[in-house]
Amino acid sequence: MARKILIIDDEDDIREVAALSLESVAGWEVIKASSGAQGLARAAEHQPDAILLDVMMPGMDGPTTFRELRKNQATAQIPVLLLTAKVQGTDQRRFADLGVEAILFKPFDPMTLSTQIARALGWS
Amino acid sequence: MKTTSKSGTRADAALSQAMDGLWVRFLPEIKERVAVLEAAAQAASEGKLTAKQREAARAAAHKLAGVLGTFDLTRGTVLARELELTFARDSSPGRDGGAKLAEIAAELRSMVESRKSSA
Repeated sequence: MARKILIIDDEDDIREVAALSLESVAGWEVIKASSGAQGLARAAEHQPDAILLDVMMPGMDGPTTFRELRKNQATAQIPVLLLTAKVQGTDQRRFADLGVEAILFKPFDPMTLSTQIARALGWS
Repeated sequence: MKTTSKSGTRADAALSQAMDGLWVRFLPEIKERVAVLEAAAQAASEGKLTAKQREAARAAAHKLAGVLGTFDLTRGTVLARELELTFARDSSPGRDGGAKLAEIAAELRSMVESRKSSA
């Protein structure tokens, strides 16, 4: 089933690789945002099936963006997966406590990213 | 990458080719990040590393750690993580530490510049 995913990441390379992966491997529609603020607007406008959200971004970081998504009735129910290059256990516990659906790690395998997302969200 | 069918093989090849295109597109940005690390390592080995330069190096290393493995440079991610952790510490790496960091940065550059296409 074709899904619509919003990728929010300030790093152009990661955003483009993730988009390529989800579009070409899974055939999903991808919407992209390069900041937390842009991501909030795109989420409300496009109502994606899920959001892949980077943690470390300048300005509004991932956790803050997540909290803002949850505050807005239009985006509160959209599943969010955090994407992070942080591997330390304390960071992971802090992210898990936010209430996101899953935490995915960079670097990811472009061939299996969509499978990881689908599995985390019970789509497969 | 493992494949299970001819169509799977074609899909893998198409993705690999597209990934190579992205690598070429983003290589200047990736090299810039390596240059930030080289400059910071050099400054550290001369005892001149500033807090601002250390933070820039930490951020560059973090970004490299996140992206290099995605392009099949798994060891690049390991090396970048080592640099990120070092630059994240409050204390200066010192001259000896700076020389070690310079070695790691040089290995990263070599790896980045010699990456072969995967298609």
